[in-house]
Amino acid sequence: MAKGTAISATQARGPRKRARPLGVLPRSPAFWFLIPAIAALAVIGIYPLLLALYNSFHQYKLADLASGTPFVGIDNYVATLTDPSFWGALGRTAFFLCLTLPIEVALGLFAALMLHRTDLRFMRAAARVSLVIPMATTYAVVGLIGRLIFNRQFGVANYLTGLFGIPPQDWLADPTLAFVSVMIMDIWQWTPFCALIMLAGLSMVPKEAEEAARLETPKWSMILWHLQRPYLLPGLTAILILRSADMLKMFDAVFTMTRGGPGTATEFISVYIQRVGFRLFDQGMASAQAIILLILTIVLSRLYIRFVYREAA
Amino acid sequence: MNKRIISARHVGPIKHVAAVALLAASAAFAASNAQAWTLKEAAQPYSGTTIKAIFLDRPGYKAAQTLIPQFEKETGIKVRWEVIPYENTREKEVLNFVGGGDQDVVLVDVVWIGEFASNKWLVPIKKFTDDTKLADPSLNLKGFFPILLDSFGTWDKVTYGLPFDNYSGLMFYNKCMLKDAGFDEPPKTWDELLNTYAPKLTKGDKFAFALQSRRGETQSADSFMRVLWPNGGSLLDAKFKSNLLSPQSQAGLEYRQKLMKYMPPGIVDFDHAEAVNALAQGQVAMITEWSAFYPTLTDPSKSKIGNCLAITTEPKGPAGLKPALGGFSLAVNAKSNAKKQAASWLFIQWITSEAMAKPYLEAGGVPARMAIYQDKAVQDKYPFVKPMVESWQGGVPDYRPRFPEWPAVSEVIGEWGSKMMLGQVTVKEGAQTIGQKTEDILKKAGYYDGKKPLLK
Repeated sequence: MAKGTAISATQARGPRKRARPLGVLPRSPAFWFLIPAIAALAVIGIYPLLLALYNSFHQYKLADLASGTPFVGIDNYVATLTDPSFWGALGRTAFFLCLTLPIEVALGLFAALMLHRTDLRFMRAAARVSLVIPMATTYAVVGLIGRLIFNRQFGVANYLTGLFGIPPQDWLADPTLAFVSVMIMDIWQWTPFCALIMLAGLSMVPKEAEEAARLETPKWSMILWHLQRPYLLPGLTAILILRSADMLKMFDAVFTMTRGGPGTATEFISVYIQRVGFRLFDQGMASAQAIILLILTIVLSRLYIRFVYREAA
Repeated sequence: MNKRIISARHVGPIKHVAAVALLAASAAFAASNAQAWTLKEAAQPYSGTTIKAIFLDRPGYKAAQTLIPQFEKETGIKVRWEVIPYENTREKEVLNFVGGGDQDVVLVDVVWIGEFASNKWLVPIKKFTDDTKLADPSLNLKGFFPILLDSFGTWDKVTYGLPFDNYSGLMFYNKCMLKDAGFDEPPKTWDELLNTYAPKLTKGDKFAFALQSRRGETQSADSFMRVLWPNGGSLLDAKFKSNLLSPQSQAGLEYRQKLMKYMPPGIVDFDHAEAVNALAQGQVAMITEWSAFYPTLTDPSKSKIGNCLAITTEPKGPAGLKPALGGFSLAVNAKSNAKKQAASWLFIQWITSEAMAKPYLEAGGVPARMAIYQDKAVQDKYPFVKPMVESWQGGVPDYRPRFPEWPAVSEVIGEWGSKMMLGQVTVKEGAQTIGQKTEDILKKAGYYDGKKPLLK
C-alpha cells in the first residue's frame, strides 16, 4: 500500500514537473529549506568575497576617496607579490603554523587518549568540561591574559621559570621569546579543540574491536596505529583545515598581546593585512592580499584532503 | 553753492558723530546680545536631539562624562558616547565617515586633523561662530593656548575643532629616589640625565628612566620623535625630504640607544600604562609622559609613589626645551544632519568653554584655556600646571607632522624604530630605511611634484 502510494506520488509529480513553465519556482520543500542558508551565505560570504575581488583590481583608498577608485588591473597583486613585508609576514605565519600545529595535534591526541580511559569517570567528565574553557575565551582576552602571564615583573611565566633558577625573561620584548609566547597562548587555547575532536574519533572505534585488540597486545601504540588511526584521520583532516585557516587569519590575540612586535617578530599575515587595510586604509591592496591568502588556504585544504583524508578513506 | 559749502564744512563732524553713534549702537547690541544669549535658549530647537561621540578610556573623558548630565539638564540634548581604545579610534572614525555612521562629535587627534580636514569630513567652526543663535558671545577663541588651537583644531588656516583633551610631555620623577642618590633636583638637560643621573639611579632591579616605546604611535610619537627635537633634529626638512641622517637627528637617535642601558629590560614593549606603572611602583626614578597621567600617578589605588611624586618640564637638549605635544580636539561631523551638527557644536562649545574650564580640571581633565592656569590656587593645587604651561609656551606645533600621510609614516617608524632599539639594525640603517620609505610615501602623495602644498 505504502509502495503504491509512493509510486503514485512519484507519478503524480512527474507530469507536474514536465508541465511547469520556465521561471516558475520548484515546489520541493528541500529548495525552500535551503533558501535561508543560501541567502545567508550569499550575504555573509559570497558578496564580500566578490567585493574584495572587485576592490583588488581597483585603487581604493578609504582615506583618499577624492582621488577616485580607478581600475588598476593587477597592480595591487604585483605590488603585493613584490612587497618584502608581505613575504616576511607570510613566512612568519608559515613558520608559526609548522611549529604550533603539530604540537597542538600531538598534545590533543595525548589528552584524548587519556580521556578515552574507562576508569576515573568523574575526573574524565570534569576534564572534558574544563577543556571547553580556553576555546570559549575571546581571542582578544587570550591576548590580554598573555600580556599578564608573560609580564616580566609579575607574570606567572617568570615565576615558574624562576622555580628552576632561570632569571626573569623579557618574554614580550625579545623577538624570539615574543614569538614563543604567542605560540604558547595559541597552544593553550586550541589544544583542547584538537583533544575533543580526537576524542570524538576515538569514541567511534567499536568497543568490541578495541577490547579484542587489548587482549591481543598490551602495546597502546599498536592499538593506536592499527585500530584507532583510521577513525582519527577524518577528525585530523578537519583539525588541519580549520586550524590552518585559523592561524592564517589569527589577529585579535596577537594584536592585543604584542601588536605584531617587537619589531616584526609577531607580525603575522593577518596583522599585516589589517595594517594595510585599516591603518593605511588601502582597501585595494589589502583585498589583493586577502585574495592571495584565500587561494593559499584553499590549496592547503586541498592538500590536506588529498594526503590525509584519502588515507582515511 | 552756499548749501554745498555748509555741507562740506559740516560733513566731517557729522560723519564722526554718526560713526560714534553706530559704534555705540553696535556695542549696545553686542552687549544686549551677550546678555541675551543663553545656552538653554540656544539649545531649545534641539531639545530631545541625541548626539553621539567617541571617547577614550582616559581621565579627560571621564571628567567629561561626569559633567555631561549638567549639559543634558540645561539643554535637553542627549549626549551618548562610546569608549574605545585609542588604537581603534581612527579606524572607527574613518569607517564612520566613509560608511555613513552615526557619530556626530568627532574626536580629532593632533595628527588626524590634516586627514579629516582635507577629506572634508569636518565642519569648519566658522559655520557656527557666524551664527548668532549658536555662537556663545563669550566663546573667546583667543582664550585658548594658541599652540593647542592651531595644532589640534586648525588645518590650512581653517579651524575645525576646539582643543578638548590636552597634553604636554612632562617629566614625572620620584624625588625620594633622586634624593637617596644624592640629587636635590631633577636633571635639567638630557645630557645630564644620561651622564650624571642615570648611572647613580640604576641599581639591581631599579632603573633611572623609562621611555615608553611599544610599536605603534607610542614608538613613533613618544619615543622616536622625543629624541629628535631636543637635539635639533627632525623627521623632515623644509622641502619634506628626510632629515634623519643629519648629525642632529643621528645624535638624538644614538642618544636613545645609550639611554636604553638605564631603562628596564623589555622597554620596547612598554606602552604608556607600563611606563606610568613603573614609576608608580618605584621601579624607575623618572619618566617623560603626558600631563594627563597626573591623576593616575596621584591615585593611591594605582600608585605607591605618594608624596615622592614631583613634576617638571622635560629636560632640555642642545636645541632647548622641545617637549612632546599631543592632544585631541572635538569637531562636528560634516555628514551629520543640520540639527545634530548644531547640537554637537553647542556641546563642544560648552565643554571647552572658559566657564567649564575649572569644573573640567577639577573632574580630572586638562582644559586648554589660558585663564584658568593664571589662578594661583589652581597652580598650587595642580603641580603639573606650571611646567605644562611652560611647555605649551615653548612647544613645537608640528612635533609630529599633521599631514594625512602621518599614519603611514608612523607605521614605518613603529616598525623600524623598534628594530633600531632592539639592535636588529644600526641607527644609521634604520634612519636610512625610515627616511627612504617616508619619502616614497610623500612622493606618492604628490608633495614633490607640487600637487600638494607642503603643509604639516
